[in-house]
Amino acid sequence: MIRYLLFLVLFVFFIFEGTVFQIFASDMFGTPYIFVPRWVFAIIIFAGIYRGRATGTMYAVILGVIYDVIFMSILGVYAFGMGLITYLLSISIPFFQRNIPIIVITCMIAIATLDYYIYGMMLLLGLTSIIHEEFLYTRFIPSILINFAFVCIAAYPLKKMFQYIKRKKEEAETV
Amino acid sequence: MQSFFSNKRLIILLVCIIILVALIGYSMSERRSLSWPEQFITDSVGWVQSGFSRPAHFVAGFFENLDEIKNLYEENRILKSHLDEYAALQVEVNELRRHNEELMASLDVRESLNQYNVRTALVIHRSPDRWNEFIGINKGEQHGIEVNMAVMTSKGLVGKISQTSQFTSTVQLLSDHDRTNRISAFADGEQSIYGFIEGIDDATGTLKFTRLDIDAEIEEGMLVWTSGLGGIFPSELLIGEIVTYETDEFGLSQTAYVQPTADFQQLDYVLVIERSTSSLYPGIDPDIEFEEEEEQEEEEDDETEDEGDES
Repeated sequence: MIRYLLFLVLFVFFIFEGTVFQIFASDMFGTPYIFVPRWVFAIIIFAGIYRGRATGTMYAVILGVIYDVIFMSILGVYAFGMGLITYLLSISIPFFQRNIPIIVITCMIAIATLDYYIYGMMLLLGLTSIIHEEFLYTRFIPSILINFAFVCIAAYPLKKMFQYIKRKKEEAETV
Repeated sequence: MQSFFSNKRLIILLVCIIILVALIGYSMSERRSLSWPEQFITDSVGWVQSGFSRPAHFVAGFFENLDEIKNLYEENRILKSHLDEYAALQVEVNELRRHNEELMASLDVRESLNQYNVRTALVIHRSPDRWNEFIGINKGEQHGIEVNMAVMTSKGLVGKISQTSQFTSTVQLLSDHDRTNRISAFADGEQSIYGFIEGIDDATGTLKFTRLDIDAEIEEGMLVWTSGLGGIFPSELLIGEIVTYETDEFGLSQTAYVQPTADFQQLDYVLVIERSTSSLYPGIDPDIEFEEEEEQEEEEDDETEDEGDES
């Protein structure tokens, strides 16, 4: 059961991003800004730091594939980008694991890189013609702010959750 | 810290990039239908998504209703004043309809472009990154949905079906930036003006109504409808209202900007329209002429434009 807890959490957040968040999304109320939630990705970075590089990358690729299939008309973009960025930023050393501010900064770097990577891919594939300034002001900065807020709020509960998972796993191994 | 890229890892990375490029190439190939693993994932996730969407729509609808209650008195008064006109119009419409049916019967016309069947569907997801304007609905091939069917709300046209799976399907909204996202439409005036709805203007949120005849007399406030000439959509589905217009960059045609009547942001239930009129003789491919035209244009513009998906 404990093995599937993390995946379950990721999946619920994934569904939440696509359904509930979109229904109550900001542009319903007429703001020109687009808030892109990257909460699943933030949790994956947490998983990479707390559970190791292999686990993090595996979850990143699985969720990336689901993301590609459900939301994107182009396959592989998210799976590759999320996988690679998670691989590079899964620094699972005790110094990181103890320091919540450092994890938050790592998450924000990862999210910013992913956003720019996706923008670059969209430009490359000709699926968008948005100029850089517009991307920066209407999408990137609002998204970073909302994701920063989420990561700050969720960091402590997530840390507790990963410690709980670790404890349970160790118990299971000793028994 | 161990070294980031040993030889083995570098090779794995390169293989991954090759797979990425191959996948992109595969998914950008034209008119691809979903493969079965994709269908399986979309359907099973879609099932969970409808479980989340339904209560969320319900809550959102509740707050909307609260807003509406505030304006209820005012609206009611206006509606009452319209009610008298309505009775007179109803008589006239019945009269015209009967007349029309008789005339059509006498001419032996059995089909017209504006006949269609309707299926309602619930919006279950929308892509969070908003790079594309796709929404998912909870009806699929099993419910008779096919690619390229028109999708509308009660207020007007919103898009067309772009991909179908067994129990869910994906709708491409009119506001999507894809160059093949194009529908044949006409503006309703003394003379009908025909053109194409092509994409959205980001700054104003209005749809671009392009390739209008240079001599056409466009007025602000004209209503724009689907023409049904593309062969897939029925005619006379409302799209929007013209707000401004201008001569295009080459001075050969005019472009009008259309404010859509449907709200693309607030979608909960949509109607999927199946045209009941057959499109053409089965032997004739409706795309052939268009492709030739487009190729000529492409040569002239020296532009690599994708072949149009006129619908």
